Amino acid sequence: MPVKTYDVLIVGSGHSGGMAANILTSKGISCLMLNAGPEADYEKDRALKHAYELPYRGFDKPGRLPHVFQANEFNANQWVDEKEVPYTCPSDAPYNWVRVRLLGGRSLFWARQSFRLSNLEFKAAEIDGTGDSWPISLEDLAPFYSRVEQIFRVTGRKEGWPQFPDGDFVEITYPPDTDSIKRFTEIANKQGVGVSKWRSALGKDGLASSINLLLPDALATGKLDIVENAIVREISVDKNTGLANGAHFVDRHSGREMHVKTRVVVLAAGCLESTRLLLNSKIGNSSGVMGHYLVDQMYGVSVVASVPEARDGKASPGLMGGNAFIPRFRNLNKNDKRNFIKGYCVGIGSGSSASPNFFPLYGEELQAKLDSYANSCVSGSIFGERVARYENHVRIDSEVTDRWGIPVLHIEARDSDNERNLCKDAADTIEEWFHEAGWEIICKTDRVNPPGYSIHEVGTCRMGDDPKKSVLNKWCQSHDVKNIFVVDGASFVTCGWQNPTMTILSLSMRASEYLAEQMRTNAV
Amino acid sequence: MKRRNFVQNLLLAPVAPAVAAATQAPSSQTTPHQKPATEPKTPVRERRWGPHDVPKLDLTGVDLTGQPAPHYFTAAQFATLRKLGALLVPPLKNNPGALDAQAPEFLDFLISASPDDRQNLYRFGLDSLDSQSRDQFQKPFCDLDAHQADRILRPLLVVRPWSEDFPSDPLKKFIAQVHDDLRTATMNSREWAAASEKSGRHFTRGFRGSGYYWFPIDPINQG
Repeated sequence: MPVKTYDVLIVGSGHSGGMAANILTSKGISCLMLNAGPEADYEKDRALKHAYELPYRGFDKPGRLPHVFQANEFNANQWVDEKEVPYTCPSDAPYNWVRVRLLGGRSLFWARQSFRLSNLEFKAAEIDGTGDSWPISLEDLAPFYSRVEQIFRVTGRKEGWPQFPDGDFVEITYPPDTDSIKRFTEIANKQGVGVSKWRSALGKDGLASSINLLLPDALATGKLDIVENAIVREISVDKNTGLANGAHFVDRHSGREMHVKTRVVVLAAGCLESTRLLLNSKIGNSSGVMGHYLVDQMYGVSVVASVPEARDGKASPGLMGGNAFIPRFRNLNKNDKRNFIKGYCVGIGSGSSASPNFFPLYGEELQAKLDSYANSCVSGSIFGERVARYENHVRIDSEVTDRWGIPVLHIEARDSDNERNLCKDAADTIEEWFHEAGWEIICKTDRVNPPGYSIHEVGTCRMGDDPKKSVLNKWCQSHDVKNIFVVDGASFVTCGWQNPTMTILSLSMRASEYLAEQMRTNAV
Repeated sequence: MKRRNFVQNLLLAPVAPAVAAATQAPSSQTTPHQKPATEPKTPVRERRWGPHDVPKLDLTGVDLTGQPAPHYFTAAQFATLRKLGALLVPPLKNNPGALDAQAPEFLDFLISASPDDRQNLYRFGLDSLDSQSRDQFQKPFCDLDAHQADRILRPLLVVRPWSEDFPSDPLKKFIAQVHDDLRTATMNSREWAAASEKSGRHFTRGFRGSGYYWFPIDPINQG
């Protein structure tokens, strides 16, 4: 049987791979997409169940997913099995690598918070006085952000704040703020802190994934083939040209080894899997920085307070409920001198009930407290920016392989005093706001979950103008191997406090249009 | 091949040989001189189950057919665990308590299947409570009255901003863990669901202790 030939191999099917397929096929470029896992069938593969019907009463099989705090017995089969595809990390520095290999990847399950990075992040070195800036600015990416926001139908309230760039939002009518949110806003504003609303992708029919917003159009061109359960082992290279000429992959079920030849390779497997593939292929790393500058955001800092007048059944709809969102407000200019660089955003939610673990009580006494505090709580939690540092890195652990014999990643990431100081400032600040509002502080923590927990890992193939200090150029193209592009979060130079999805999608769109033009002119 | 096509083919695969065997059978049992009394009818093809005809049988949940048989903890440890269930999660507001929901029995199973660190935490915690009780009150923890037990338990309770935040002190950590586990095992029980439905709540998404369960999505991913 004649084997089809393709112009571009796309590895991975999440947001970045879906966008690459969408753009490239729209330009008439034939693409093969290899996805490491199967296609999920929402009708067949899931069912509404009581926890008592599950083998472990909702606890899940003990020890199955020790690094996925988000896992429970209901969703355990969504995640990559840690025994099937393990990774290693130092015993004193756990890393939570949360992975999905289903077709569509993590785009199936993301929280849909949709922000643009600002020039505080793109030009970070200028404001921080240290570190590196991106080789691009917000102005370079803004047209692509706009198109992505339209595809994903992002809602948001325009503010005109430079640290919180506005987008092309779907207009919605926000319900009036409740009295608790008004009270909070008043206090924050008094301190010069702007309070806005969350920005969220509506998507279509409740889903904002590559499988419903990007891949159907690509398939409709007839220029895209998707293969499931195809695990890419290594990128192959033409010895004469030094260019990539395809990839070796293995069938997930049978272990059958295959090879596909293509003119260009686009990596979109999620930043750590793309980097793992490049490291295992031993290409593209003349700079020596591949795998370095791994970074993600800090989650875990939280303060919860109770509104006294809302207790004992008096949490009326006019008093409690609703939310507020505070984008970065620290270190907005060079004069804001603190014991940390970077910043954090704060999400405020009103009207929740207290968790049992908030109180050192049990039995009837605990139940009485929970009843009294029901719907009376206001919570504040942060997404904080970590500093991208060389020493936080991944490398190949040649002594451990996955189920298919592919060497796994060793991940090493630790927080510094900058992260700890930032988190302390965040917890103290939120506590101060709540205290000033006259609310009872129930609990407060400046403890951060392990790196990776945010599921926003980026970096490890950072972009830059200098091939000696970066892996990719500003088009997400390998400095060393011109026909390899990495369009997921691996190219990030700084992570910001923002959910990275809109930026990943915009970078992928921009890189794919550049690639299409390069292919048209035979420059690639 | 798509997996769903593969499954369909598997289901259809046995039909062809079986039909062939059925149509051949009469000729092998009829000798040439025996004339059939009536003209043979066209053989009726025996109906086979199609993929959509397989009946769905009513099965019974295992919890309704037998009692759990705790086996992991020692008798003394299990008695302490039951006492903790009665104290920490008693029946309240028409909901079952931990003992009604057989939460200690379930935890005996869960911990028996858990990694070493969880097993060690439980054994240490249960033994420590019992030992402290014998030192302080000269009787096992399971025989303490509520006031006596409270004198041991209350100093061990801590505020935890997140459920996954555990204190470093091992006994305080155990109390936090067993409290969480007893609550979850109780609120995720069949008994709790029945009580909720009795009070007028219907089984929909968001119903306590329910959700969309994802089946193992392909044969490799069995956990």
